[in-house]
Amino acid sequence: MDKHLVSPNPHIHAAVSTESLMRDVIIALLPAIIVSVLFYGWGELLILAVSALSCVLFEWAIAKFLFKDTALFCCPAALVTGLLLAMNLPVSTPWWIVVLGALFAIGVVKMSFGGIGQNVFNPAIAARVFLLVSFPQQMTHWTAPAGFIHSVDAFSGATLLGQVPVLGALEADKLVSLQTLLYNIGGSAGEISALALLVGWAYLLIRRVIKPWITLSIFATVAVVAGIFHLADPTLYTGPLFNLLTGGVILGACFMATDYVTSPMSTWGGVIYGVGIGFLLMMIRYFGSYPEGVSFAILLMNMTVPLLNRWFHGKKYGRA
Amino acid sequence: MAKLTTFSIGGVHPDDSKIARGCAIEVLPLPSTVYISMAQHLGAPAKPVVAVGDKVKTGTVIAEPGGFISAFVHSSVSGTVKSIGPRKDIAGNPVTHVEITVEGDEWEESIDRSDTLVTAIPEDRAAILDRIKACGVVGLGGATFPTHVKLNPAPGSKAECLILNGAECEPYLTSDYRIMLERSREIVVGAAIMQAVLGGCRCVIGIEENKPEAIAAMDAAVLSLGYPGIEVLPLKKKYPQGGEKQLIDAVMHRQVGSGALPISVGAVVQNVATALAVYEAVQKNKPLITNTLTVTGDCLPVERQHNYLFRIGMPLSFIAEQAGGVPEAAAKLVSGGPMMGKAIANLDATTVKGSSSILYLSEAATKRGKESYCIRCGRCADACPMGLEPFLLRRLYVAGDLEGLEKEAVQDCIECGCCLYSCPAYIPLLDQIRMAKGQVMGVIRARAAAAKAAAEAAKAAKQ
Repeated sequence: MDKHLVSPNPHIHAAVSTESLMRDVIIALLPAIIVSVLFYGWGELLILAVSALSCVLFEWAIAKFLFKDTALFCCPAALVTGLLLAMNLPVSTPWWIVVLGALFAIGVVKMSFGGIGQNVFNPAIAARVFLLVSFPQQMTHWTAPAGFIHSVDAFSGATLLGQVPVLGALEADKLVSLQTLLYNIGGSAGEISALALLVGWAYLLIRRVIKPWITLSIFATVAVVAGIFHLADPTLYTGPLFNLLTGGVILGACFMATDYVTSPMSTWGGVIYGVGIGFLLMMIRYFGSYPEGVSFAILLMNMTVPLLNRWFHGKKYGRA
Repeated sequence: MAKLTTFSIGGVHPDDSKIARGCAIEVLPLPSTVYISMAQHLGAPAKPVVAVGDKVKTGTVIAEPGGFISAFVHSSVSGTVKSIGPRKDIAGNPVTHVEITVEGDEWEESIDRSDTLVTAIPEDRAAILDRIKACGVVGLGGATFPTHVKLNPAPGSKAECLILNGAECEPYLTSDYRIMLERSREIVVGAAIMQAVLGGCRCVIGIEENKPEAIAAMDAAVLSLGYPGIEVLPLKKKYPQGGEKQLIDAVMHRQVGSGALPISVGAVVQNVATALAVYEAVQKNKPLITNTLTVTGDCLPVERQHNYLFRIGMPLSFIAEQAGGVPEAAAKLVSGGPMMGKAIANLDATTVKGSSSILYLSEAATKRGKESYCIRCGRCADACPMGLEPFLLRRLYVAGDLEGLEKEAVQDCIECGCCLYSCPAYIPLLDQIRMAKGQVMGVIRARAAAAKAAAEAAKAAKQ
């Protein structure tokens, strides 16, 4: 009898681990990553590799040598941060800026708060914003794609969102078509294909890695806010479709705002959080000095998560 | 097909692994000795009424209730009382057992051992309850609460619905499934008896959809016997459907308040195996001396899996030997289901009224991963069928915040295991919550006792 285990129930497990969940996120990111490499070529692959490897290395080193607790090192989680950071950068970003971003994401945003599960802000987004304010020139330098697929209408210099002040809302709106859903050159490499991102999101939903409410509430809020402003004055304000398909809304809503650690645990908390992100990002886009507001909106709403967790709870059985 | 009903909060979907579903119930041979536990029901242990050297028959009373919530215990064999004293239970804790050396198999004459189905239900409600009590019937769904107490709700409360629990939501277990197939008519008569005791409420037999043969068999039995107000309700498969509070929610769409009894919402829940025991007690005068148990597991070949009719008091090791011994690959032995069963620390321990299985789990099936850090994914809260937040309860427990734990309703935890089952970081949520619950229940009980004492003191002062 000595060789048999004796421990309390439950005696079986769903066989889902932090590692397997993070692996699923990596798989979900693959379609968008493949599209970005196809359009931007080896340069994009290099950025992805540098970012992912530095995140893994920094997390491992900090866990091992500073915390002396390797349980804090979760390789697939660090990879997710690295990939998301790379996907949020322009392809022309110098490698040392990428490494600096990775160090900020892992070292400052994640590990200094206590490591996995403890960070207040989404590491990849916080690092992107850190790089944006530190290296504004490099971070908004959008180059024409030099990848394996050559797009005739590829242009250099500005993103669709960046075109708005130049062309005006009416003309910018016209730039959005069905093709934008498939691929949309300009901006961060990970944002090229809305369709690829949505395919990855669907994979996460099917695998029950995340629930759809945060993402859907962001989409709905963006559509409603943009719809109202667009109806009020179409010459000043771009419409719902333009705002949903351009910039980082889809990447942010599907993969960044749904980060477990930095989003609310309850369904209603998540919906409020999503509405907040959608509203703030539209305010930044319409009235802010940056053309894009997804990163700032998510970071601002990250700060409300402890409060949302305190206020919103699931319904308890047999209690009013 | 109409949308199947289920409970509304949380739940998980483990693979049902009902490998032994095709194994018909077999009668086990008698061992040379049985050990009958005095603590095989919820409440006070029973008090032995036999002495060493006494001759007993199968069905002879050997112990009487040790309190209001307690039960009679009968000899499951005929023979001689060899000893009365402490013996280790499955966890290794000493419990008083009556050891009986088996000699032949002579039954008490008052027991009707024929197979004839007796469908006429006695008129006298008190007589039925007495018979159930005298036969030592306890709930066989897991809690082993004395059935005569549960069927006799406090004055002023009225049962609206008797729910027969045929959910058998635990993976692997198939004993309820087999009796629903093989003893369906007896179960329905048992249900009708309990309906009569409760004053003619309706009766719903809840069975999960993964047991269509049981649903069909029970439906046919209900139809052919023609008792009024009994129906079979297929339920969507989800664990822990067979939890009392969850089943009431699934069937009646009502929720029992915290700390309240099911009768407060008009519900009485009994397991199908209990209904069978009630039938045998009332119609056949047969005490609860047998039950059905599944020998199963992921590391046991299907041809070595069994559903056995066992005599209560047979050692688990005897049953394991009858089924070909403990498989080499077994890493953990469990009595009960894999979600809520107890690990067997002592295979020489005896079977009790509520024994439902010997489950052999391989290392792959039962191994807990290495504990890591909470990633706030919220899976535990999504899984909790009581709507609690296990991650939060654990944090409060670690912080020693008993007040916070009570406010967050740790005392409502039913210990179903869904939180730990779902946790990707393998945090021992239930282990810690169970300890927290124990501490908070202590505080609640102490407060109630203090309030009672204060009220009595005030009353005494008035006089």
